[in-house]
Amino acid sequence: MPKLTIDDLEIEVPPGTKVIDAAEQLGIMIPRFCYLKELGPAGACRMCAVKFLQGPFKGVQMSCMVDAQDGMVVSTNDPEAVAFRKQVIEWLMLNHPHDCPVCDEGGQCLLQDETVSGGHGLRRYLGRKRTYRDQYLGPFIAHEMNRCIHCYRCSRFYQEYAGYRDLGPLQIADRVYFGRFKDGPLESPFSGNLVDICPTGVYTDKTARFRVRHWDLERAPSLCIHCSLGCHTVANARYREVVRIEGRSSGKVNAGFLCDRGRFGFGYAAHPERPRNAKIAAQNVPMSAAVREAGRRLLEIRESSGAEAIAVLGSGRSCLETLGMVQHLSRVGKWTAPDFFENPQMERKVKAIVSQLDARLAVSLRDVEKADCILAIGVDPVNEAPMLALAMRQAFRKDAKVVVVDPRPIFLPMRFEHLAVSSARIETLLQVLLQVLRQTDLAAPPAPLPQPIQLSEGLLSEVAFDSSVQAQFHALVETLVGSRNPVILCGSGVVGESVSSLAADCAEVLQNAKGKGGIFYVLPSANAFGAALLASSPEHSFLDTVEGIENGTIQALVVVESDPLRHFPDGPRLQAALTKLQFLLVLDYLPSETVRRADIFLPTCTLFEVGGSFINQQGRLQAAEKVHAVGTPIHQATDEAMRSARGEEGGGKHPPRMYDLGIPGGEPKAAWEVLDALMEALVPVAEGTWREDPWEVLKQEIPLLASWNGRGYPADGLHVVPEKRPGAAVALPLETEAHTSPSEASLQLLLVDWTFGTEELSQYAAVMRQVEGEPFLCMHPQDAERCGLAHGDALEVRLEEGSIRASLKVRENMACGVMVLPRHGRIQWQELRNLSGRVPFECIQKISTDTQVIEDLR
Amino acid sequence: MLPAEIKETLLQRIAHAIHPREQAIDVMTIMQSHYGYMSDEAMEEAGGLLDMTPLELEELATFYNFIYRRPVGRYVLHICDSTVCWMNGHESLLQHLCTLLQVEMGGTSPDGLFTLLPVCCLGYCDHSPAMIINQVIYGDLTREKIDSVIHKLREQAHAS
Repeated sequence: MPKLTIDDLEIEVPPGTKVIDAAEQLGIMIPRFCYLKELGPAGACRMCAVKFLQGPFKGVQMSCMVDAQDGMVVSTNDPEAVAFRKQVIEWLMLNHPHDCPVCDEGGQCLLQDETVSGGHGLRRYLGRKRTYRDQYLGPFIAHEMNRCIHCYRCSRFYQEYAGYRDLGPLQIADRVYFGRFKDGPLESPFSGNLVDICPTGVYTDKTARFRVRHWDLERAPSLCIHCSLGCHTVANARYREVVRIEGRSSGKVNAGFLCDRGRFGFGYAAHPERPRNAKIAAQNVPMSAAVREAGRRLLEIRESSGAEAIAVLGSGRSCLETLGMVQHLSRVGKWTAPDFFENPQMERKVKAIVSQLDARLAVSLRDVEKADCILAIGVDPVNEAPMLALAMRQAFRKDAKVVVVDPRPIFLPMRFEHLAVSSARIETLLQVLLQVLRQTDLAAPPAPLPQPIQLSEGLLSEVAFDSSVQAQFHALVETLVGSRNPVILCGSGVVGESVSSLAADCAEVLQNAKGKGGIFYVLPSANAFGAALLASSPEHSFLDTVEGIENGTIQALVVVESDPLRHFPDGPRLQAALTKLQFLLVLDYLPSETVRRADIFLPTCTLFEVGGSFINQQGRLQAAEKVHAVGTPIHQATDEAMRSARGEEGGGKHPPRMYDLGIPGGEPKAAWEVLDALMEALVPVAEGTWREDPWEVLKQEIPLLASWNGRGYPADGLHVVPEKRPGAAVALPLETEAHTSPSEASLQLLLVDWTFGTEELSQYAAVMRQVEGEPFLCMHPQDAERCGLAHGDALEVRLEEGSIRASLKVRENMACGVMVLPRHGRIQWQELRNLSGRVPFECIQKISTDTQVIEDLR
Repeated sequence: MLPAEIKETLLQRIAHAIHPREQAIDVMTIMQSHYGYMSDEAMEEAGGLLDMTPLELEELATFYNFIYRRPVGRYVLHICDSTVCWMNGHESLLQHLCTLLQVEMGGTSPDGLFTLLPVCCLGYCDHSPAMIINQVIYGDLTREKIDSVIHKLREQAHAS
């Protein structure tokens, strides 16, 4: 390892480390604009000049372009280097406007910092400044090109790192312009990162425009809970409201970048309709009174019908503390076993996935970047877990092969091979793959490789895959066999239960032979992993609870931070069941339909107000800190005051002030605290079986956490998976029946996630309205032709008592016999009651042809 | 819309390239010689042929001097403003041209015949000052030579 001296300090760094990074490790921040570790060196801005005194280089050189080498002596403050940098910054500032007072970047601007550090204070240039016309880049990003210093970070990130192709450098010389071909929203779902990486105020967060100064912000490390990856973020709040989310670099999850759903989807926390008061029969009451009343009614039901008549439902969007408390409350109260998944099918899949993961097989998101072969099974990265697509792209940039097996029309910002086969066939394909991998000597594969058809004794042809799929499959086997670090990605949305174990088996076989690689699952929600660890009883699901309600054995339902009316696949049935309930108690922070139907409602806090721990899809236990105090955001409270001053809703006269000791809207508490209070009301303290500290509870409930106290997390979280998974799944017999005779006159309905518009929390953010688009569904051209439909048709799908309307996108790159329907917030897909998952042709009706289908990449 | 035969030539060119992208400049040049300049629609059309986004083509089109993104006159005069030409009288020649054609740098003459644009070095320094008009290069420029070239071009235009 090279050892060098920088400013009289010695340091030893791994080979390949740039001098600028070596200095950073010593705490010396060499000024820079274009250099960003993730993007690699460019040497474009000339700002990081240092003087090399000894070693292979001599004189002033760019520290971002030089690898640290043995015996180097570097001076960052040599007069020559200082003078060089001073001139560079003066030159970069020539055309920069003096608009810092109205620039959102002010206070956290690298250009401001480096101008000061470079020692440039007085402007000598007296000429006219170059100006540009700005572009409209969509609802997320504000564009202000006059501020640009041409470091190329934006275009290098946008095109090279993220792989999108609609923003780049235009023109030449001193007129270079970063923008789009025409005004219009940026196509990339990673566009928000431009705000973070731009060293000045060219790209600023439009949603937070003119609202805050950096030094006024309350900032804390937080987590993104808009999908299961658990990316690290910094949440920035002001006046009891999150105003901006920034990326935070993590060694195991995200490299400091975020997707736009995670960055701009926080609006749910300060939703104007967010319920902040406890309610009994929709009337505001003090929290303590509501808890007492809830306790009384639960006791009443326990008296009359037994403790078994009380059921409780949590969800994967709650923190682990809350889930643990739900479990504890339910156990101590001897209630029916708690459920943590609104969708029973999903529960089984997630549990299957969690049981497959072990410390050896589970790879992190950062490991995906290092793979040389990626096989994605039943996962649509851009739509289900966008940052996964960014990680795959990094592997692709290092020449990794990417193969996707999925029935949906997949778009990825990279070249990839797509085996568009139906969900049922994915299982078959994996079984064959596993068999082939087991039979092949992976350490010394024969060349050329025999056809997988021969290897699998004709299984592939037996299940009637067409020849193109067979050829693709053979290429896939060859790629996998020839790889050194193969990673298998596996989703949970559109594939059957057994796929996760088959995928893990394949990963294990490969890992045994190659010593590297592993498996990476994608789960449906931020804490689905934690929920699955707690959901102890394998037989019980929320479906049983619904049945219980229907036949009267369950009379009270406690819903904790969950919206079953949104997630349960049979909407009308649940609606009917809920009316039969004697008592519905809901704890939540969203203005959901379930909350509206509650007999008693208890408000809880969001992640930003109390923090919390979440286990991501890899089994990594990570914590978010509290960012700001609970309470109605000041501007909303002021609006309310103004309304009441005008004598509008809420009445009241001037002065519009309430004299109270608490913070307005400060009633919500962490869900686990509310549960704790509820338990106090239920179980007399004398009985002494309950515990206040959620971590005491979690230690009992989750064996893997037995030695953990919930404090002092390591930076990368804690990997809570067993050393070794219980054992490889038994190979299931091939089911050839089901798909050799597919139902001729029907399509398989796949309800899927989309980047914007389907995820629960971000849907409550107002800005998402502008990017979610119109509801649509996708069909293969063959199916569309058979139904007499064309691209752009407005359709109605009517099943039993419900129907949905959406426009049709005909897509070549998807499986035949499948209808892909994103769970758009504006369509009542729950009303389709689609438990069987099939849609007969006659249920699909064309309404009109004149709708405009918004064409996009996906 | 491009005539079928031009489109066919372009598609063949693209098909023969290892990467379609390497034909981007050629495709735009050929399309430009048909349309006169590259309109937004032409850019999108070229993008479709090359499997490139309009932005990616725009990066190239705005980088190179000889691809025009706005309508130009029948004759496009690129007058060299690099060091050697500048030393040998570029500025006074430019002024002369502007008066003669009644245009400013970057403009098109009122009769729509001439567009005046700068170019930085034609590699003709040994015959500086120089300019290039519709791919014909003129060196050792003087006022008289410019007058006669412009006169000839005007006559040529009126004749056709």
